[in-house]
Amino acid sequence: MAETVVAGRDVWKVYGSGDMAVPALQGIDVDIYRGEILAIMGPSGCGKTTFLNCFSGLDDISRGSVTVEGTDIHSMPDTKKSEYRARRTGFVFQSYNLLPILSAEENVEMPLLIGGRSAKEARSEARSILTEMGLGDRLTHRPAELSGGQQQRVSLARALVAHPAIVWADEPTGNLDAEGSRQVATVLRQLNGQFHQTMVVVTHDADVAAACDRTLHMRDGRFLP
Amino acid sequence: MVSSLVAGLLLILVAVAAVTALLSIRHRLAFRIALRNVRRGRARTALLIAGLLVGTTIISGSLVVGDTVQQLSFHYTYLGAGYVDEAIAGSSSSGGLSYFPYAVYGQTVTAIGADTSIAGVAPEIVDAASAYDRNSGIPETNLNLIGVNANQSTALGPFVADNGSQLSGPVPGGVLLDDQAASALNATTGDSLVVYAQNVVALRVQAIVQDNVRGAFITGGIQPGNLFVSLSTAQRLENATGAINYIAITNSGSQAAGASASPAVAASLNSTLAGVLAPYGLSITTPLETGLNQATQSSQSTLTIFLVLGLFSIVAGAMLILGIFVMLAEERKGEMGMLRAIGMRRRELVYTYYFEGVAYAAGSAAAGTFLGVAVGYLLAYLAGFILTNQGLPANAILESFTVSGESLAIAYVAGFLLTLGTVLVASRRSSRLNIVRAIRDVPEPPPPVRTYTFLAYLGAGLLLLGLFGFLETYRGTTDLSYPILTGSMVILGVGLVAARFLRNRLVFSSVGVALLLWAGWEPLHSYLFGTAHGGGIFIVFVEGILMVGGVLLVFVFNARYVPSVLRRLLGTRVDSSPVVRIGLDYPTRQPTRTVVSLTIFALVIFTMVATAAFGSTLQGNLNYAVANQSGGYSFFGGSQTPLPNLWGEIANNSTLSALFTNAVGLTAGVVNVDVPGYSANPYSDRLYSAPVRPAGPTDFYSTNGFSFASTLDGRSAAATFQELATNRSVAVVDDSYAPATSSVSGGSGGPHPTLSAGTTISVASLRGNAAVSVTVIGILTESIVSGVWLNPLAASALGYTNETAYFLTVAPGVSTTHASQELKRAFFAAGLVLFDLRGLLASSINTTEGFIGLLEIFVGLGLAVGVAAMGILALRAVVERRREIGMLRASGFTQRMVLRAFVLEYSFVTLLGVGIGVVLGLLIVYNLTTSPSASAAGIQTFVAPWPTVGEIAIVAYGLVLVAIAGPSLRAARLPPAEAVRATE
Repeated sequence: MAETVVAGRDVWKVYGSGDMAVPALQGIDVDIYRGEILAIMGPSGCGKTTFLNCFSGLDDISRGSVTVEGTDIHSMPDTKKSEYRARRTGFVFQSYNLLPILSAEENVEMPLLIGGRSAKEARSEARSILTEMGLGDRLTHRPAELSGGQQQRVSLARALVAHPAIVWADEPTGNLDAEGSRQVATVLRQLNGQFHQTMVVVTHDADVAAACDRTLHMRDGRFLP
Repeated sequence: MVSSLVAGLLLILVAVAAVTALLSIRHRLAFRIALRNVRRGRARTALLIAGLLVGTTIISGSLVVGDTVQQLSFHYTYLGAGYVDEAIAGSSSSGGLSYFPYAVYGQTVTAIGADTSIAGVAPEIVDAASAYDRNSGIPETNLNLIGVNANQSTALGPFVADNGSQLSGPVPGGVLLDDQAASALNATTGDSLVVYAQNVVALRVQAIVQDNVRGAFITGGIQPGNLFVSLSTAQRLENATGAINYIAITNSGSQAAGASASPAVAASLNSTLAGVLAPYGLSITTPLETGLNQATQSSQSTLTIFLVLGLFSIVAGAMLILGIFVMLAEERKGEMGMLRAIGMRRRELVYTYYFEGVAYAAGSAAAGTFLGVAVGYLLAYLAGFILTNQGLPANAILESFTVSGESLAIAYVAGFLLTLGTVLVASRRSSRLNIVRAIRDVPEPPPPVRTYTFLAYLGAGLLLLGLFGFLETYRGTTDLSYPILTGSMVILGVGLVAARFLRNRLVFSSVGVALLLWAGWEPLHSYLFGTAHGGGIFIVFVEGILMVGGVLLVFVFNARYVPSVLRRLLGTRVDSSPVVRIGLDYPTRQPTRTVVSLTIFALVIFTMVATAAFGSTLQGNLNYAVANQSGGYSFFGGSQTPLPNLWGEIANNSTLSALFTNAVGLTAGVVNVDVPGYSANPYSDRLYSAPVRPAGPTDFYSTNGFSFASTLDGRSAAATFQELATNRSVAVVDDSYAPATSSVSGGSGGPHPTLSAGTTISVASLRGNAAVSVTVIGILTESIVSGVWLNPLAASALGYTNETAYFLTVAPGVSTTHASQELKRAFFAAGLVLFDLRGLLASSINTTEGFIGLLEIFVGLGLAVGVAAMGILALRAVVERRREIGMLRASGFTQRMVLRAFVLEYSFVTLLGVGIGVVLGLLIVYNLTTSPSASAAGIQTFVAPWPTVGEIAIVAYGLVLVAIAGPSLRAARLPPAEAVRATE
């Protein structure tokens, strides 16, 4: 049986309070397995991004527990949580969230530097992964000088360069055209095959979901059976 | 003139108001949006107004300082001149007033006749005297003796006794003492006073009178004190029976009315009295009107100094306004993009900003005007402590604190227009956004080629204009600011043209270096413009702006290389630190943003450091200045009776001989000097001549330590003085004749004549036709004694033989106060007055330092701009970088790391700005110190004010840390999940 990397039990996330309370997650129970690519699909406002934020440790939960590799991430202090994110997770966002002042290779080497690697090692690994992703001729370009697809590939490289246990991707193809989406989906699949990292992909894109190992559908803060 | 300026400014204000009203009707939507923007965040509106009001505060503060200085000067001018609107007097060859027959008074009264513009004419004697109070046992040698009859001087106003009773004047046998004289003698009413002049007369103190317009005549209530006696008593004291030396004429009406009528009355008197006055060498002066004019000039000079130094803060304030509006535009980019997308025209966006700008400008100008008044009051309060050592009462300045309606109007309108103008520039820039890029938050692309072509044409125009201006100004002016400014236009013009064809980095780095060298390399100035140049306070502004601009251009186009160099210098560990990466990369890879706060900070620190360096250099040169200006002597003195054997008498006195090591007698008087090329010949100046005596304690030529700014053929000081001692055809002049200090006013308020070593001048006695033609063989560096030095034979040929001036040196370890008291006591009957040269110079320099201290406080206001700029920049960064911060947090940045990155970023910008300001501030004062004009003024050494620089740096940095603390903590505490969202 596949090893569970992330386990959520009766996870609730409620925004606001009293009459204004909005339950974004309503008692989620889920297991995510090592090495799989899990797609989360659902209509807008169903709680997909909240699920990603709460299960990745970016946001707190209101009730329940989320364990990652056996550790309850919501019982950690902020510093530990940051350390955990630096060492064990990678993120890809719809709007790339690249640092505009840094070049492609500098963006990619940042997680390595945060993780304590030397500047030389970080630069070498960043160049290596970008080259693998077909951006060898764009190493010193800044985000503004790259296309949307290229930016998302840089974003993917940044998420994967430190070889995290889990990669969380929030609408990674949301800003891309069909060709860009196809390229990103292919890269996700290739890298998963290469590094066996667990990937959780929140998406609207059926093609991306089709490239994943498993798909969960959400509605009103719950997974559909 | 000021009134027309105010009228013009108010007219512009009305025009702006009318245009705004019209525009608000035509562009109602833009108006409504603007109003909503102003109202929607009151805290932010308050912050904006606080940021915008600095420029107005500086203008208002400067004007209030000018008003107060003018009021103070007017106060003492009114006191000192009293109701003497015109005075008839002449100079004696000894330097005092010449005596003339009493009959001249009668002829004057007759000639004036029934002229209704004149209220009274009073005959007087105005001279010097010593006095000894038998009751208190205290002598005083430095007093004014004023002989005037009560019945002839009613138009001059009454004396007011300390008990409040009014007195018409001194009675025969009595003497009125003003508060200063009474204090110096510790005298009270009824005391027996022995007055010493040419004769000795015992008098009774009739009353102590207040220093009002009558009692404070001449002195303005400041030392020395006045003795008022009847005219006959004064004639007896001065051995001048049947003679007077002063006729005071009072115009009808108030003091102000009298002064304004003075030019016309004086002109009329000149024509009617010409025949009466000419035989006695008398002339008509207008003491009150001249004094008021000088007071106005003095206040204008003070206003100029404050305004020019304030200009740095005003420029910094304008940059801050630009920064604030760019921040607003960034915040509203998406909103503006949507407005454009739904059909709003670009012009409407500009109007939105315009209306908003008008509201902010109106509010901030009002707040700034009143804050400036508070700043002016603070400066006046502090100035009271500083100027007490000049004899001013401690509360005199605060009592003179004045805010004129004109100043308030000028400050408000100027501040309003300055703010609005800057806002309009910022609005135009902000409204030029691309709709799609604005909505999607995509950065603006680099400017197209056509922009560079336009700039090249602009550059060509600037180049030609600068070249023309430079050729017009680089010769024939001692004011460097014009050629420096026009030369910089050439440099900038060349740069703009070159940018069309070459890489920006190469072009603008070169322009930056060229500007820095052009404005800051003193040897280049001396080479191009000669050694006789200056430029006053304005050159500090011109050079300061150009140097700071040059350095910042180099920074902007090379900033991206700074972090890697720094990181490599600091080692592998630092190179691998993500905090250092982020902290240094943000300010250096967005240099056009950083440069706003950097400029503000560099300018402000530059002004503060330059002001402090100027003060420290003055203080550091005190010993040199004292030695140089005093010629190495301790005292300069004068006596009413000549003392030709002063040293002999000192040597024979067992007490005095232990106190002094030398005493040099000088012949002194007043002469007329004709200088070739001077437009107002003859120039009236002091004459000094030292008799040649055997080398020793009585010989000036072997004991003086005066030095020269320039000598004929570059000969030494000793050789120059030796030539003066032996050659009757040569002369030496003080430094006010040097071209480099030609801005010094002459004695009458007009320009001082200038010459160079080798010039032949004519020196004539005041009476008769005696004159000598002499060649100037040396121009002294700044000395306490100013005038023309002649060979003793030449002085004798002009009729100057009496030794009535002296240089003395006290023995090592002897108190100058004690030595002065003993010497004055011994030579009291001769009316010996002594000036402690070191004390005088130290007091003068302390006052200058105090003034500089006030300036430091004033320019320190600019620090508020710098700190506000940093705070606003940090606030803007938190808004703009929200998602980037979120991403960093998602990647493992802790809250502390975000905080450290922010602190590092603003520390880098602050410390860089401080560094630039410190280096350039020190450089500009170093340049001034090493320039020829500084040398002529006795400044020899540059002294860096390191403790003050340290304090400035620490305070500036500390305030910035406080200002960025809020935004930095806000950035650190951003919840990552919220921060990474695409929209807020």
